[in-house]
Amino acid sequence: MVAATGPHGQSVKKIPALTPTVLLAAGLLLYPLVFSGPFYLDIGVTFLLAAISASAWNIVGGYAGQVSVGHAMFFGLGAYSPLLCYTLFGWAPIAGIPFGIAFSIALAVLIGIPTFRLTGHYFSMATIAVAELIRIYFGTWDLVGAAIGLQGPATARGWWDLTFRSELPYYYIFLAVLAILLCLTSMIERRRFGYYLRAIKAGERAARSLGVSVQQTKIRALALSAAFTSVAGSLYSVKTGFVDPESGFGILVSVQMVIIAALGGAGRLYGPLLGALILIPLQSATNTWFGGGGSGLTFILYGGIIVLIARYEPGGVFELWENVAPRIWRRKHAA
Amino acid sequence: MLLEADAVSKAFGSFFAVREANLSVDEGEIVGLIGPNGAGKSTFFNCLAGDAVPTSGRIIFASQDMTYAPPEAHARLGIGRTFQVPATFEGMTVLDNVMVGAYLRHPHHNDARECARQIIELTGLKAQTDIAAHSLGTPGRKRLEIARVLATTPRLMLLDESLAGLTPTELQEAIGLVRKIHETGVTIVIVEHIMEVIMTLARRVLAFNQGHVIASGKPEDVVKDEAVIEAYLGRGRHSYRSRSA
Repeated sequence: MVAATGPHGQSVKKIPALTPTVLLAAGLLLYPLVFSGPFYLDIGVTFLLAAISASAWNIVGGYAGQVSVGHAMFFGLGAYSPLLCYTLFGWAPIAGIPFGIAFSIALAVLIGIPTFRLTGHYFSMATIAVAELIRIYFGTWDLVGAAIGLQGPATARGWWDLTFRSELPYYYIFLAVLAILLCLTSMIERRRFGYYLRAIKAGERAARSLGVSVQQTKIRALALSAAFTSVAGSLYSVKTGFVDPESGFGILVSVQMVIIAALGGAGRLYGPLLGALILIPLQSATNTWFGGGGSGLTFILYGGIIVLIARYEPGGVFELWENVAPRIWRRKHAA
Repeated sequence: MLLEADAVSKAFGSFFAVREANLSVDEGEIVGLIGPNGAGKSTFFNCLAGDAVPTSGRIIFASQDMTYAPPEAHARLGIGRTFQVPATFEGMTVLDNVMVGAYLRHPHHNDARECARQIIELTGLKAQTDIAAHSLGTPGRKRLEIARVLATTPRLMLLDESLAGLTPTELQEAIGLVRKIHETGVTIVIVEHIMEVIMTLARRVLAFNQGHVIASGKPEDVVKDEAVIEAYLGRGRHSYRSRSA
């Protein structure tokens, strides 16, 4: 790394912008080769799934600042669609993914039109209400297995069923989806849509005065976010071969996305990834250490993280790093 | 006639903040709105910008009825407004702030950035291009506010106390900036408390008091108007006139 002087006299690190991305990609690609045990692989797959859903949430919750705590509605639709297609028609579960996406986008538009009239906490509460309604409804609806839920194929009829004994193929499929999502997000960041989202977050009234159609932009963001959240749900149910109302539409699913994104840094490209990198191993560790007796511990962990983020660093770890790193760098440089 | 407000009233409950205000602005004019605090200038101004819907009356811009149009439609048709309290996009850089405005007419990233850079140079923010907007001081924010609006290439600019809170030197620079913008062919309606600004910039002034337009005409004449003096100072306190000037 070469130290240079920035336009305002502060020292800045001059490293090619691609380097962190390359390092990250290499790390994620090589992870299963280094940690090949089923336990570590499982953590890796869980991490990727969490990173995908949180990154999808990030589009509307992070960039546009519309904190939805009901994204489980899209995750659940995505999770149910493949298994429903399998149960009803005997199709390969992946054939249900497009349906999940379509339902989620339709729901996003339907929900977005009334709820985006609300702002701040009221919007968050409305999204919780909708997700909970859907969860309760699915719990009594026989077509989708009511409270018992749905199951996928027990043994693979062919590769297209995506039912593997090892977690390794899932790891790379999930990684590919995450890569696509992050590429798309970084493209959005540099386009009009991305600028408009950030402007809406920073001040709706000012954004409107500059010609931003706030309502329409928010709905587009929610639809895009819903589509990818739905894909995350589908990947989850295809992998586990099982979904019930709680694992699909449960409030914990929504809360996890919010916490991971907020922990890492909402509205940052790699924020959710960083959040998942911290939270998922921590969660696995607490589950392992405390065994079955610690099943409620996840909630305590979430609660603690919410308090810490809200009190000390609303910008998440990413911002913390950005504030602290230059200071460390300068101190080292001065010495 | 570029902008015409015809008998515009705005009531909050039974209280009329603006009562039957008329205003017509020709292309290329600078019109000033003055009046004591609470006179209804800002409410009238918000009606013109689409932020408030008038209770009655009509607002015509470039022969289109804008009375009920939302703010974004105003921006698209060429009415730009600044906010009294700068509504800076805090988390974004100065360049990004201006680019949000520039994207209205330049959908492509590079065009928008090029346009934004030109505007930033024009408004004298070039040294601050890449710094975070939240680190700007008041004069910088006021300039940024103007720059953002200018990036939407408006035909009419509504300035809501954009020059308030500046030091005398900054004020002179800001007046120069407004002149420069006016010379590029932008029509300007300006709300201002500082008489110096109104006297040097505006060729026509409307004075508000308690929701009514109480005087209009050349600035020199309006400041001598008995009703205007009374609105600001009350009766028989002419000795205080120098303070408001």
